[in-house]
Amino acid sequence: MKILTTLKKVVDVELNIKVKNGAIVEEGLQYVMNAWDENAVEASVQLKENKGAETTLISIGGGDNTDIIRKAYAMGIENGIHIDDPALTKADSFVYARILQKVYEKGKYDLVITGKQAQDTDNGQTGIILAQYLGLPCVSNVISIEVMDEQHIKVSRLGDVGTEIVELELPAVVTVSDSINQPRLPVLRGIMMAKKKTIKVMDLATLGTSKDEVGGAAPKSEIVEFIAPEARKGGQKFEGDVAEITARVVDLLANEAKVF
Amino acid sequence: MAKVLVIAEIKQGVLKGSTAQLLSKAKAIGAETAVVAIGSNIELLIPNLVNAGSDTQYIADDPGLELFSAGPYSSCVVDAAKQFGADMIWFGFSESGKTVAPRVAAQLSAACATDITDVMFKGDQIEVIRPAIANKVMQRVKVNTKQLVAVVRAGAFDATEGISGTKNVVKLSSPAPDLKAVIRQIISEASGDIDLADANIVISVGRGAKDQAGVDLVKELANDLEAGFGSSRAMVDGGFMPHYKQVGQTGKIVAPTLYIAIGISGAIQHVAGMKGSKVILAVNKDPEAPIFNVSDYGIVGDLFEVVPILRAEIKKIRS
Ligand SMILES: Cc1cc2nc3c(=O)[nH]c(=O)nc-3n(C[C@H](O)[C@H](O)[C@H](O)COP(=O)(O)OP(=O)(O)OC[C@H]3O[C@@H](n4cnc5c(N)ncnc54)[C@H](O)[C@@H]3O)c2cc1C
Ligand SMILES: Nc1ncnc2c1ncn2[C@@H]1O[C@H](COP(=O)(O)O)[C@@H](O)[C@H]1O
Repeated sequence: MKILTTLKKVVDVELNIKVKNGAIVEEGLQYVMNAWDENAVEASVQLKENKGAETTLISIGGGDNTDIIRKAYAMGIENGIHIDDPALTKADSFVYARILQKVYEKGKYDLVITGKQAQDTDNGQTGIILAQYLGLPCVSNVISIEVMDEQHIKVSRLGDVGTEIVELELPAVVTVSDSINQPRLPVLRGIMMAKKKTIKVMDLATLGTSKDEVGGAAPKSEIVEFIAPEARKGGQKFEGDVAEITARVVDLLANEAKVF
Repeated sequence: MAKVLVIAEIKQGVLKGSTAQLLSKAKAIGAETAVVAIGSNIELLIPNLVNAGSDTQYIADDPGLELFSAGPYSSCVVDAAKQFGADMIWFGFSESGKTVAPRVAAQLSAACATDITDVMFKGDQIEVIRPAIANKVMQRVKVNTKQLVAVVRAGAFDATEGISGTKNVVKLSSPAPDLKAVIRQIISEASGDIDLADANIVISVGRGAKDQAGVDLVKELANDLEAGFGSSRAMVDGGFMPHYKQVGQTGKIVAPTLYIAIGISGAIQHVAGMKGSKVILAVNKDPEAPIFNVSDYGIVGDLFEVVPILRAEIKKIRS
C-alpha cells in the first residue's frame, strides 16, 4: 500500500498572536507542523510498521519547511516532497487541493491521509475537496483505520450522533481527528537518520503545472483583513471560604447575571 | 433578490434549532429562502420546515438516506441548489455539515467558508467574517465566486420570533448510494440525554474531577439544572466521557446562556468551543488557571467541596 500524507507548516497557536492594521504581526511568531498532520503522520507510520505500507509526505508552501519535514522523517515517514512557489501567496484550500491532485496523479497512491483541519486556516476543507477532484471516496474526522484487504479499509469517524463505521474502497482519502492516536515523539536515532534524508523540492513548473492551472491566479475567496477578536474579559474571581464564596456566586448568577 | 438555501439539521428525527436561526438570518438580509431536508421518513417535518421560515422545501425522503452518508447527501444539496438557483448554501454547525459543505462547493465550483459568524453583501460581492487560528483572530473574507457554500458557527445567528414561511414542497429524486464508501453502522452513544447544542445551560467536567466518581458528582449538578453535560478532551481521552460530549475545537461548539467549567484549565482548544457562551462560571483550585481569564465568575476551590455546595445553594435559590 502506498500512502500519501499531507503536512502543512502553520503558525504556533499556543503563542500570543497580535493583529495590527488588518494584518497579523509577524514578530515573535513561530512555525510548527500542523497538530492534526502529526496525527496523520502517526497514522501513516503505524500502517507502515504494521502493514508494510510505503509512506510519502507532501508539504506545500511555507518557504523553508525543512524542520517539519525532518520531524516527520524522524517519526518514520520515508519520502518527502516539498512544493513551494511564489505563486502560492493567495492560495485557498481549492488551490492546495489542485496541487495535491497533481502530486497524487504522479505517484498513484492507495491512500491519502490529511489532517482534519489546518490550525492557521481552521478550514477543514482541503482533503475533502481533493477527494472530490480525484473522484475518490472520502471520510473525514476519522478516529481509526483498519486494513481489511488490498482494496478495502474500514474506518470510524466521529459523526453527529455517534461513531460511524464506513468501509472504503481504495484508493481513498481520509482526514484524521486528533482522537485517532497520540503522535510519537521522535527518538534520537530517528532524528539523526532524518538529517541524512533528502527532500524533493519543486516549484509548480517542475511539478508540470502552473499558477493558472491550479487556480492560483483566481482564488475563490481571499482574506481581506484580520481583525482582533473581541476579547472575553475575566470577571469576578472569588477566593476564600468555599461555602461563602459559592453562595455569593450563586446569588450573583441569579440576581446579577439572571441565568436562573 | 439573493437566494439562500439552508440545509435542515435533522438529528434523530427532530428538526434542530439551527435551521430556524439560519433561515431568520437569510430573511434578515433580504434573501428569498429555501430549505433542503434529507433523510428517511421526514415528510412529517414539512410543517416544521415552513414554520422555521422557509418559502420552498426541497425534500429528499428515502429509506436509503436513513444513515448519514456524505456522497448521497451532497448530491441532494447540489440538486436542490441548482433547482433553486441558490446564491448561498448554508449549513448549520455539525459534523455532517462540515464534511458535506466542501463537497458541494467543489461540485458547484463555489467558494467555501467554514465556521462563519457573519455574512453580508458589499454590492454584488459576498463577504464573511470567521474565526481562525484557534479563535485567536477573526478574518474578513471576500468571496470571488458568485456562489458561496458556508458552514455557520453554532450560535452565530438568532432565530427571529414569530418567523414563518410558505409551503411549496419540491420532491428531490433519490441519489445513488456511494458504493465506494459504504456506511455499515452508526454506534449511537447519545440516548435521550440533553443535546449540548440545544441546552440552555452546559456544564463541562475536566481532568480536575480525576475519575468516574468525580464525573458522577459533576453530573448530578447537571441533572439538577437540566443542563447539557459536556467534557474537556482530557476526560474523553481518559475514557470517562464519550467522544460526542467533548466541547472545543475538535468537539462541539456551544453557546448556551450559562456555561460552567469544572476542573478545566482553559486550554485554547477548549475555550474555542465555549467562549461564545453568554455567561461563564469556572470552578478551579488553581487561582492562576487560564479559564478564569474568560470567565465572568470564578470560584477558586476544590471541586469536590464546591460542587455539593453549588447544588445546595442553587436548590435554595430556585425554591
Ligand atoms: C489539535 C488539538 C485539538 C484539541 N481539541 C480539544 C477540544 O476540542 N476540547 C478540549 O477540551 N481540549 C482539546 N485539546 C486539548 C487541550 O489542549 C487540553 O489538553 C485539554 O483541554 C485539557 O483538559 P482539562 O482542562 O480537563 O485538563 P488539564 O489541563 O489537566 O486541567 C485540569 C484542571 O483542573 C484543575 N483541578 C485539578 N484538581 C482540581 C480539583 N480538585 N478541584 C478543582 N480544580 C482542580 C487544575 O488546576 C487544572 O486547571 C486539543 C488539543 C490539540 C493539540
Ligand atoms: N499547504 C498545504 N500543504 C500540505 N498539506 C496541506 C496544505 N494545506 C492543507 N493541507 C492539508 O489539508 C488539511 C486541512 O487543511 P485546511 O483545509 O486548510 O483546514 C491539513 O491538515 C493538511 O493535512
